[in-house]
Amino acid sequence: MSDAPAACASPRTAASDSLDPDQAAAELAEALAGPELGCVLFFCSADYPLAALGAALERAFAPVTLAGCTTAGEITPAGYGRGCIVAIGFDRDDFAIACARVADLEAFALPQAQRLVDGLLADCRRRAPAVDARPFVLTLLDGLSSSEEQVLATLEAALGGIPSFGGSAGDDNRLNHTYVYADGGFHDASAVVVMITSRRPFEVFTTHHLRPRREKLVVTAVDRERRRVMELNAAPAAEEYARLVGRTVDELDADIFAHHPLAVRIGEAHYVRSIQRVDDEGGLHFYCAVENGIVLTAMRPAPMLEELSGVLDDLSRRLGPPALILGCDCFLRRLELEARGQADAASRLLAEARVVGFNTYGEQHQGQHINQTFTGVAIGSRG
Amino acid sequence: MDLGAEPPHIEPATEQERALAEENARLRRICGALIERVESAGMGGGAPYGAFEHAVLLAEQVRERTDSLHRTLEALEEARAEAEAANHSKTRFLAAVSHDLLQPLNAARLFASALEDQALPEDAGRQVGHIGRSLKDVEALLGTLVDISRLDAGVLTPDVAVFPVAELLDVLAEEYRQLAGARGLDLHYVPSGMVVSSDLALLARVVRNFLTNALRYTEHGRLLLGCRRRHDGLEILVGDTGPGIDAAQQQAIFLEFRRAVASPEDGDRGLGLGLAIVDRIATMLEHPLNLVSRPGQGALFSIRVPYGRPRDLPVAEAPPGPIDIAGMRVWVLDDDPAILEGMTALLDGWGCRVRCVATPAALEATSRRERADLLLVDYHLAPGDPDGICVAERLCRRHPELGVVVITANHDGELKQRARERGFDYLLKPVKPLRLRLLIANRREANGA
Repeated sequence: MSDAPAACASPRTAASDSLDPDQAAAELAEALAGPELGCVLFFCSADYPLAALGAALERAFAPVTLAGCTTAGEITPAGYGRGCIVAIGFDRDDFAIACARVADLEAFALPQAQRLVDGLLADCRRRAPAVDARPFVLTLLDGLSSSEEQVLATLEAALGGIPSFGGSAGDDNRLNHTYVYADGGFHDASAVVVMITSRRPFEVFTTHHLRPRREKLVVTAVDRERRRVMELNAAPAAEEYARLVGRTVDELDADIFAHHPLAVRIGEAHYVRSIQRVDDEGGLHFYCAVENGIVLTAMRPAPMLEELSGVLDDLSRRLGPPALILGCDCFLRRLELEARGQADAASRLLAEARVVGFNTYGEQHQGQHINQTFTGVAIGSRG
Repeated sequence: MDLGAEPPHIEPATEQERALAEENARLRRICGALIERVESAGMGGGAPYGAFEHAVLLAEQVRERTDSLHRTLEALEEARAEAEAANHSKTRFLAAVSHDLLQPLNAARLFASALEDQALPEDAGRQVGHIGRSLKDVEALLGTLVDISRLDAGVLTPDVAVFPVAELLDVLAEEYRQLAGARGLDLHYVPSGMVVSSDLALLARVVRNFLTNALRYTEHGRLLLGCRRRHDGLEILVGDTGPGIDAAQQQAIFLEFRRAVASPEDGDRGLGLGLAIVDRIATMLEHPLNLVSRPGQGALFSIRVPYGRPRDLPVAEAPPGPIDIAGMRVWVLDDDPAILEGMTALLDGWGCRVRCVATPAALEATSRRERADLLLVDYHLAPGDPDGICVAERLCRRHPELGVVVITANHDGELKQRARERGFDYLLKPVKPLRLRLLIANRREANGA
């Protein structure tokens, strides 16, 4: 379904639901090709035979730079997709793009981050002589690596004032393996940092639709290495959470986690800490860092699409109609929409707003690892 | 209550007590977790959650600072807009004040001129001479102020024509050679045959300003006036052997009220406006200025003027010689009695036959009884009356032989245009007696021809 418009405006977007790597790569290449094509970002289902897909994409696009990751669902030019691949092609006359991979997340300290950022900036400057181009950064992280917080905080320190956002790679809620793609192959326990500079107006944003309730849960026992909470309010965590949401522990699943999120409050803002699963010992595993003594506030969802469409309208008012919104959409949001029968309405809204991207296992915004949000960048049409 | 100690052991006797004891134990554990959290807060260390919290706080700080920066920028922008508005209102005020001052000054000049023409005892004659020169200084200063305000308000538009540069420089050289001689300085003038394209009057102001400055600041040595041919224009140069200007000051002297060195002259009357005007005029004419100077070695000011094509030169008119204007019949229409009185004194002194009227109606009545050679009419008449040009136009229908001079303090180019279209002459206030006399003489010559 290479349904990208043939128009040569950059960035161009395309999707393919062919499960055959060669055919999918060929369809994308046909839609994105252009004499100025300088970089392709892609997001694909973890169901693809990844090694073959990577090779097919390299054959189809070389020497164009490729970066991407596996997903928990795709956002194609026509809205939500699943089991497919979506891609964005950036022309080099409008966008100077540089990529780097962090292969060792544990060892990623400030000196490494500084070198990486300096290299990206130099690379972009070499590709884009335009002095008034401004940069932003997209981060793609292995969503099961449990090291997002430190990597992001370190990277943020090196980025200084450069706006950044991103998403954690997914695997359709199987929680087995998630991968990022860079340097010609798929990698786990890795991060990809993509710096994009352009004279186009852009805005990095994040939003969620969750509002605080009265109830508070204090984390009283934690296994911070595994992002596991054993106790809430000095009771077994799963039991206490099940009591809060009025269910039994056996009933707890991703749908319930999506509808009944927990958040930490810092200042006036609430940051959702999403639950990943219940383990056999009655502990709750999270998608993000947890700590003993943190206070979790029970949250309730407000109408998600109303909220999202308001944010998209505001962006459009500030930047003019965007040429593209690259969106990192938490997969729990999509679960909630599907449970409410609103997935089609969401698809229409996303397609109209020219959103392309993927469903994540966590989002990143200005060095923060956040959950259950819609986070991305809107890129204006005018230079 | 010792939160660190083990809770006292109580054997619950009832179900309620058992529940309370259990809750107490849980609350103590919650309390312990919170204490641990509070006590480790701010220690980012390497803990993942601490890194997240740190990132949030950092982002919040960035947001706050960005907001406060935006507020500061807005405040600055507001202050800038206010300053600009104040500057505009200052410009308008200055223009209005200058205009109002010109009116009485005009009358004073006319009186002084009339007095000078009379045979007076020696002392009185000298004093009248001083008064005349003082008034002339005031007029020059006021003119400068008017010019600055008009340049700032953007109402002055250059009147560019082609002329031989010698037409300008010969006169200035002669004038300043005498002034320099009086101060024991030598003016070296190198004439040029080049033709340039510029506004003669404005360019004259610039060169005159260079010369005046050179004269003012040079105590020994000589001045130089000459031209250098550049590929993109003729550079008119004024050099001196004065104290020179420090590199750091070379920009600042083009601002208002700045002086490089205090003038050695006693009773210096300048306002330090000269080079500010030069800068504005040069900017408006798009003639680049240049200054080369080193302290102790003099200064060389220059302005680069585009070349003109010799074939664009206007056909030269013969300069009017001294003509006797006695007996000329002149009507003067002005609503200011002081002006009328001054004009009468001046024109009488020249032997003209003057009839002064204060209203168009009075002029109308006069014109039915008498004839005249020339009408001097103020453009701004009393409120309710038509303007001077309209009055003159109506009168000319019945007296086609009548010459008209419109007098105004308004520097509006459109007004000048209107007067010219009707064949009227045009004088700016304050009226310079010599210019007026020349106009009357021209009229006599035209009538005689």
